[in-house]
Amino acid sequence: MVQKSDFRRVDEYIWELPKDFRDDMRVPARLFGDAELFDAAFRDRTVEQLINTTTLPGIVKHAMAMPDFHQGYGFPIGGVAAMRMDTGVISPGGVGYDINCGVRLLGTHLEREEVAPSLRDLTAALYRACPSGVGGKGRVHVSGRELDELVTQGAKWALKRRLAWPEDLAHTEESGCLPGANPSEVSARAKERGRPQVGSLGAGNHFIEIDVVDEIYDPETAEVFGLWEGQVVVQIHCGSRGFGHQVCDDYVKKLQPVVEKYGIQLPDRELVCAPIDSPEGRSYYGAMACAVNYAFVNRQVLVMGVREAFEQVLAGKVKNFDLFQVYGVTHNIAKFEEHEVDGRRMKLCVHRKGATRAFPPGHPGVPEDYRDVGQPVLVPGSMGTASYVLVGTHKAMELTFGSTCHGAGRVMSRRKARKRIQGSELRHELEEQGIVVRAGSMRGLAEEAPAAYKDVSRVVEVVHGAGLARKVARLRPMAVIKG
Amino acid sequence: MKGRFEEVEHTADIAIRVWGRDMAELFANAAYGMACQLADPDEVVRTVQRLVELEAYDAETLLVAWLGELLYLSERDGCVFTDFDVLELTPTRLRASARGGPANDRRHYIKAVTFSSLEIVHTGEGYETTIVFDV
Repeated sequence: MVQKSDFRRVDEYIWELPKDFRDDMRVPARLFGDAELFDAAFRDRTVEQLINTTTLPGIVKHAMAMPDFHQGYGFPIGGVAAMRMDTGVISPGGVGYDINCGVRLLGTHLEREEVAPSLRDLTAALYRACPSGVGGKGRVHVSGRELDELVTQGAKWALKRRLAWPEDLAHTEESGCLPGANPSEVSARAKERGRPQVGSLGAGNHFIEIDVVDEIYDPETAEVFGLWEGQVVVQIHCGSRGFGHQVCDDYVKKLQPVVEKYGIQLPDRELVCAPIDSPEGRSYYGAMACAVNYAFVNRQVLVMGVREAFEQVLAGKVKNFDLFQVYGVTHNIAKFEEHEVDGRRMKLCVHRKGATRAFPPGHPGVPEDYRDVGQPVLVPGSMGTASYVLVGTHKAMELTFGSTCHGAGRVMSRRKARKRIQGSELRHELEEQGIVVRAGSMRGLAEEAPAAYKDVSRVVEVVHGAGLARKVARLRPMAVIKG
Repeated sequence: MKGRFEEVEHTADIAIRVWGRDMAELFANAAYGMACQLADPDEVVRTVQRLVELEAYDAETLLVAWLGELLYLSERDGCVFTDFDVLELTPTRLRASARGGPANDRRHYIKAVTFSSLEIVHTGEGYETTIVFDV
């Protein structure tokens, strides 16, 4: 059993487990956190899962866990691992089932006071315009042929269908389209599940939130992002729905015998993988990219739903009800990126599982109008608490392949949360704080209670302190919609 | 012999430990354990029957495929399956029937059945395994 004393503190916020700790480790493991978060890593299987991640072929530098880490399956949540293109592997278990789960942030031209009188109507309109819940059908239905185009072109498809504004694309990671998508690598079942769900939120931890910007830490950067104190903004958190789940499920099963074929030894079958440069690896990448693009379109269609709801409720009441896209990030993905390893620039396959890209100023991957300041990083907190807008840094490029945290991170199981917290009471508490809540299920609400999560502010202080991103603004919820 | 299944702690997802006197019972109990995460089985009026036939690489992959198939049918038909008859089972092949029906009060949406540390273990009393569901 791994102990805290096996780790070496290399920096105030970095804890390293040397690679000689276990025979099968190929690189050291690094946890990011303050002393208290570090302690929390030993209360579930986070560390064991992180050590398992270090055993993957072709991994460089370290396997890392961002400070919102917790136990997942395969990789821990918060896991970041980069593999060499020639000898490395790509792992569906290192991306997860909700491929390209991510967050959009929309800015309004409205102050809190302008929205407050219509908040209940607005929340109800959002709930209607953005379908949610188990088996929820989406806003858009597509044919089989249209779906192939959708998953190949991503947000460009949405633009053609007038389901996006041109400026939305520029303000989305990868401009809303990951290249290399190959629909012929996607099963008929994934397509069948995906067709009716375009533009749906789903259930679980997915949400839409109306927030107010309540504190600005970096006024210059906030201005570049179009954010100001007192402004109403909207967050959307969801992923690739049944399409993405099925793609991952198909490949985790399909690659089981492949591991043996390539002589790869794995400590956990969920880490199943294939060499990047192999027919099986290329096949998974082509299918995963389709799911990534599906999720980009899914969120984009929901953005239009949010715009529709704002227009319905606020037209005639306020001067300008338009919402502009601040940015869209992705959380669960494997991408080919260039990074520096031991002084050499290398193309790597970076896996981020419950981690956000955080590219620095000057990086060509950052939208032109943000390039002087860096990429916006969106960190939603647990329901009813704060969320943060951060900005990417050069230090993140050096330390974490340009990655940072993606949220608060759970600390309590759903079972415990249900035992301790009543959904209806929680809703009452949130309403007492002036937060309007619409939820598909009270049980689901209880499981997502703030007490089940780490304190997002603490997590953000760590990434800010460690230099993995810099604080720009804090958001407070006004209304929450959960599936 | 313990019960059919029990829920075990997992920080973010759902994990169940399942027992069976033989592999067929393990597969049926795993499916029942999953159904209990989706809805209250006592509330489900069984009006639908589906026959499932699957082949897989090994017993663990077959178990994941079986539960995944039920999740798919559950999403497609708007049902939760609660009763199972395993008609034929080898480590790589399964034929089973599942009965279920619509459930009004859904408990969870399960995204997928994972292979996380998945291993079917032969014990003195039969078989045991722990399954993690991504929710």
